[in-house]
Amino acid sequence: MELFLQQCVNALQWGSFYALIALGYTLVYGVLRLINFAHGDIFMVGAYIAFFVSTAFLAPDGVFGFSRELSLALTIPLTMVFTSIVGVALERIAYRPLMRKGAHRLYVVITALMCGLILENGNLALLGASRKTLPTLLDKNIYSLGGVAVTNLKLWVIFAAAFVFVVLHFIVTKTRMGMAMRAVSWDKFALPLMGIPLERVIVFTFILGSSVAGLGGMLFAMSYPVLEPYMGAMTGWKAFIAAVVGGIGDIRGAFAGGFLLAFVEIMVAAFLPSTFRDLFAFSILLFILWQRPTGIFGKPLTTKI
Amino acid sequence: MQRYTFNILFFLAAVALVGLAQFGMLDKYALTIITFMGINCIFAVSLNLVNGYMGEFSCGHGGFMCVGAYAGSLISVAFFTDSKLFGSALFPPELAPVLFPLVLLGATLAAALFGLVVALPSFHTRDDYLAIITIAVNYIVISIVENIDAIGGPRGFSGMRKTVNAMSDVVNVPWMLIWTILGLFVCVMTIYRLMTSTYGKGISAVRQNEVAAEIMGINTNRVKIMAFMVSSGLAGLAGALYAHVYGYVNAQAFNILKSTEGLVMVYLGGMGSISGVLLAAVAFTLLTELLRFVIPWLDGVLHAMSLLPAGYELSQIWKWVIIPLILVLLMQFRPEGFLGNRELTQVFPWIKRWITFK
Amino acid sequence: MPLLEISGLTQRFGGIQALSNFSFQMEEHELVGLIGPNGAGKTTVFNIVSGFYASTEGEIVFDGRRINGLKPHRVTAMGMARTFQNIRLWNDMTVLDNIRLARYSWLGYGFLDAVLRTARHGRAEHAVETRAREALEMMDLSECAEELPKNLPYGLQRRVELARALTGNPKLLLLDEPAAGLNSADVEDLIRHIRWIYDEFGISIWMIEHQMKVVMSLCQRLTVINFGSILAEGTPEYIRQHPEVIDAYLGDEKI
Repeated sequence: MELFLQQCVNALQWGSFYALIALGYTLVYGVLRLINFAHGDIFMVGAYIAFFVSTAFLAPDGVFGFSRELSLALTIPLTMVFTSIVGVALERIAYRPLMRKGAHRLYVVITALMCGLILENGNLALLGASRKTLPTLLDKNIYSLGGVAVTNLKLWVIFAAAFVFVVLHFIVTKTRMGMAMRAVSWDKFALPLMGIPLERVIVFTFILGSSVAGLGGMLFAMSYPVLEPYMGAMTGWKAFIAAVVGGIGDIRGAFAGGFLLAFVEIMVAAFLPSTFRDLFAFSILLFILWQRPTGIFGKPLTTKI
Repeated sequence: MQRYTFNILFFLAAVALVGLAQFGMLDKYALTIITFMGINCIFAVSLNLVNGYMGEFSCGHGGFMCVGAYAGSLISVAFFTDSKLFGSALFPPELAPVLFPLVLLGATLAAALFGLVVALPSFHTRDDYLAIITIAVNYIVISIVENIDAIGGPRGFSGMRKTVNAMSDVVNVPWMLIWTILGLFVCVMTIYRLMTSTYGKGISAVRQNEVAAEIMGINTNRVKIMAFMVSSGLAGLAGALYAHVYGYVNAQAFNILKSTEGLVMVYLGGMGSISGVLLAAVAFTLLTELLRFVIPWLDGVLHAMSLLPAGYELSQIWKWVIIPLILVLLMQFRPEGFLGNRELTQVFPWIKRWITFK
Repeated sequence: MPLLEISGLTQRFGGIQALSNFSFQMEEHELVGLIGPNGAGKTTVFNIVSGFYASTEGEIVFDGRRINGLKPHRVTAMGMARTFQNIRLWNDMTVLDNIRLARYSWLGYGFLDAVLRTARHGRAEHAVETRAREALEMMDLSECAEELPKNLPYGLQRRVELARALTGNPKLLLLDEPAAGLNSADVEDLIRHIRWIYDEFGISIWMIEHQMKVVMSLCQRLTVINFGSILAEGTPEYIRQHPEVIDAYLGDEKI
């Protein structure tokens, strides 16, 4: 039982990572009908940015020589800002010109896939194979709750995901920009009626998605400090799956899918040989999509004749 | 006679290629590249059936190649070699050249059957959701293979070299080159004939308007099954050839990166154009090999001009930055690929005088 | 025995009752119209009859066989063809190929025949080709055999769709607003073609149409539906004077 609860906590933590990345997929898909395959690598970029920013701030090696707490407090917003700059740049340079030309949707998807490869391999080629380690920004405390050990970092991760959910939910349902985002996913042509240019909505979506992925990357790096360029690839694919299982285009879906996937993975790894983890994760995906072709929260596809 | 020019030229070129290889005028490296080019062509043309003609977005084509590679390898080892896994050989090794088509056929059928895993969900699922299913299937295949210890698990599987050697012992010719050329021929002919028959045009009808297809009497589910099975089967053929050319297979060689290569070739060439995809597959293979030499050269030049810091070496990793970059640029300036959905004969009608296809 | 017999057809989409207790009969060689205001459920009837939707309740018997739950391609193979409100041609293949594919159910060869180019494939393709050319000839479309449908004017596209539907030798032809979007000259052409098809092939035609000119000059009998149930049935003359029909159409269209 304790083992199970312990694994549940781990699943919550992993689910939070998945959910934070899945959000980016879901938001962009909701607005643009585009699978932004480079998004997993945006997560990786976020982790690296967190590394560079925090090492620059932190004493004794950093330029600024700040304390841990101050470095952490500054790294979070800066990571989010820088990562969203990368995300928006991607949209500006690679996707927007294509969409303007009215290229087939699949070409934009391929471009996204290629941009992901460029980010991964460009990183490896520029920074080399030596692995970077994120400096410790948070003193580790372990709490014991009824035999279940929880680190403060895990709690922060879970809390951050929950917080992001609440904030995003608020943005999407209550603000003008959020309503515009939902309007676009309904009908692109209705948007001018709201008086907001489509491109501004798109940029806003990319900012939201990328900054959340950047936050995820940073939290991930704090939990597993060794960084490598391909860390975003597999996690990104999994998060994407989470988004789809939940029903891509729906914020609740990203969280539901993320936690579901993490739960399955952690439980399989805990009670079966860990090599079965991917097999189970992907088989479950296959099964869910077979039974509910548009995911848990997705609306069923209809063809109008 | 004039109309057969191309066909004769193709045949002569194939014979010449085999001849060059036979008399040692092609070194081993060139031979491998050419064989690999052929395998890439099969892989890309087969993917084109689903992604180009049927308009679905399959991103897990590598998975079917993996099934074919392992199925082919296992059949080959069971047939011609004494192994721990299957015991003694089923057939004397002298029969290897005659029975090798069976190995390829077995691999093709195995992969085609596996294609059902994608074909069946495609009845209800389309577009992005089907894309995810194909990705999942790709990962599932690799994961299954890596979890079966009897066939080597993550260590990979070997022993196919013996089959190739057995063939060479009977008649010493570049067997794998010959099989690859034949395989490519079969693959192109299959898809060309399919897509020029009314039966096969049902695939295009499903892409262009699925509702109309169903209402006009086309059993769309059966069309999807057929397209996915043919496509994945031919990918399996490519896999079996690959396994025998290298003499060793590892599931990770067929991961999502391999599938991405397939996508690149199809979209580079133009969806729904056999000749375009063939061109793209050749160009892509050449490009990846060319960069192997260009990058060190570039490294030398840039260092000589002191544009690069002395401690930094331009490594082969740049290959995988440059190739995607070329593609991104290509998408920007020529998003429909080399030929769009047209064939070479449609873009340059004068070619028609020299070609006949049946 | 009637060619088509529908009894007690009811269809619900979620909470919405799109069709309730719809019953209808059609004899061989009849030209019948189905009219009603927008959203009355006309296309839903066609979608159910042609097999695209499975009905919630009710029976459909076509040519002596119950066809509820049959997939559309099976219904087509039994001798029913239809056209669509918004034209649904295959736009990236030639007009000739569009017509050819209408023979799909009767090809009689399979994958291996196609790839090995067997004699059976040759015979079948030859027959399909001849049949398709005939159909084009009949509908005065021979000149645009090699064109892509998307490059044709709207009126011709309608005609291609009609030719495609006819190529399957249907016993019953369902036309869903064949005159929608046509100018008056094209409408005249269409009326002429439909009448010619009806006389020449001796088939039954059931059409949904908004333009009263088309319906009144072609149909022998009309069914009017509103809010998913039958309002009136009878000859065009009778319908024209039916008070409830006039009521339902009030402000919508003049009869």
